[in-house]
Amino acid sequence: MTRALATLATATAAALAAAGLLAPADLDLAVTLLVYVTIAQAWNILGGYAGQISLGVAAFVGAGGYSTGLLLLHTDAAWPIALAGSGLVAALVALALAPALLRLHGAYFVVGTLVVAVALQAFVLTWDWAGGAIGLTLPFDALPGSAALFRAAVAVCALTLAATLLVRGSRFGLRLMAIRDDEDAAAGLGVSVPAHRLGALVLSSALTGLAGGVLALQLVSFAPDGMFALSWTLAALLAVAIGGGGTFAGPIVGAAVVYYGLTRQLDDLETLSLALEGALLIAIVRLAPRGLWPRISDWLIDAGVARGRRDHRQRAGR
Amino acid sequence: MSVDAIVNGVLVGGLYALAGLGLSLVSGVLRLVNLAHGATLVAGAYAAYLVLDAVDVDPLVAAPAAMVAVGAIAFLLQRYLLTDLMAAGPQAPMIATFGLALLVEAALQGAFSTDPKSLQAGYATAGFDALGVRVQSVYLVAFSLAFAACVATHLVLTRTRQGAVVRAAAADPGMAAALGHDVRRIYALTFASGAALAALAGVMTGTAQSFGPASGFGLLLVAFAVVALGGMGSALGALAGGVALGVIQAVGVEVAGDEYRDVTVYVTFLVVLTVRPAGLAFRGSE
Repeated sequence: MTRALATLATATAAALAAAGLLAPADLDLAVTLLVYVTIAQAWNILGGYAGQISLGVAAFVGAGGYSTGLLLLHTDAAWPIALAGSGLVAALVALALAPALLRLHGAYFVVGTLVVAVALQAFVLTWDWAGGAIGLTLPFDALPGSAALFRAAVAVCALTLAATLLVRGSRFGLRLMAIRDDEDAAAGLGVSVPAHRLGALVLSSALTGLAGGVLALQLVSFAPDGMFALSWTLAALLAVAIGGGGTFAGPIVGAAVVYYGLTRQLDDLETLSLALEGALLIAIVRLAPRGLWPRISDWLIDAGVARGRRDHRQRAGR
Repeated sequence: MSVDAIVNGVLVGGLYALAGLGLSLVSGVLRLVNLAHGATLVAGAYAAYLVLDAVDVDPLVAAPAAMVAVGAIAFLLQRYLLTDLMAAGPQAPMIATFGLALLVEAALQGAFSTDPKSLQAGYATAGFDALGVRVQSVYLVAFSLAFAACVATHLVLTRTRQGAVVRAAAADPGMAAALGHDVRRIYALTFASGAALAALAGVMTGTAQSFGPASGFGLLLVAFAVVALGGMGSALGALAGGVALGVIQAVGVEVAGDEYRDVTVYVTFLVVLTVRPAGLAFRGSE
């Protein structure tokens, strides 16, 4: 874990340093990709490691995005403060909803999270102080430049990846995985199931909220239709389905595939991308329940393309 | 609180009960969370729209055709996709139904565009006064239909041999299979019946309101709220849950304003989840 964290720190430092070298258009693209990776990895903490499949991603993207937007519009807060506020508010929303959501298990948790997302969107649509259906336009003077926004997106993404590594290597994470694999057995061994589920929900929601905050700063002008869109939930679910849940690299690979393979290619073809995403979800659960990427990497290893890697694995005794 | 609002809440509740009935059946018998239920309603509405486009008849006349078409597709999907996935636990089939919901939405978007449609009927916009209460005819038709469908489903489940077999498969699939019943076929038939009821609900919803390819998720949540209120696998529960939801919404709109029409439904759902510790647990078992 220490080595992985050191690698992550090096990569983060390199990305922060590279901000000055990239053109604004590239920075803009990178920010979106980093938001996708953050959302997918935050979903992975809750869905992949803790086994709590959520369709409520959009609720926390929206809560985060609107918090940052409202803080910038109605207070004198500088944008980094407003961004931090998105994580805090999303965590508070998760805490407020936890009594209802954590009563639900398995498939009913899924439905509960879906209701939360749709309910929050419906509420913000009627909330005039937050712009109602028209949405918000952020004051231009208060916004960060493209390099600064890129650095913020890198920081948020690095924080999420570090959190995932820490979850994966900690007692907390092992207990989450125990709950995922057999909730009754974990409880029988003395794991406090409600406390751990709450921890995973709040952590995942806070990170998702931060991604929403970055998104708000990037979009400048947004409405509930986009900020609370089901497509955020779908992007996270697809990224993890493609990359494989409960792994560190999976959601990163999956988010890149979803963003470059689907979202950008099919930007103007809404119907086709919806059909493709639906078909992909069905195909993955039917043919590759562990995710597409583990399937492909297994196949590569078996085909001998990555023979060296296998030898290395065997030497390492795995 | 006006009597008008309550009466119309009860009648709108009939529409909600119809929307929840099929979902209740599928949740109770198959223990499957069907996220494609809303899309099924919308597909039923579009099927009736196709019929009405070809021949000039009442939506209710087109409803049986829509029910058969949607039910047949659902039968095949359950038999050849979902049944295999259900062996792996509840999450894989649920995610598959989410994928199906997106596919249906995309297919309807491709075939009919995103323009809102509605099913034309003489009584769709008509209304009358009964004992000083203003009633919209279409909701009275929907309520009568919902009442008949819920009672009929209840009687089939509790008073017929086939219903007993379905309840046996719900209570203990392994034992039902050991006694010689083809549980996979029972599941597929139940799923198809649920989808046919959803198509009927879709036809009524499409007559009362306008609809588009994306209407599915809103209708799905209404149906889930009905099931949460009425209990899973209970046809009379769906009727009671639908009426309760309709009345709660009518009261909510009266108190908070018309823009909170949808919010009331979602808040009701969340409150029900919170106060019933078992959440949406199947009544009388587990």
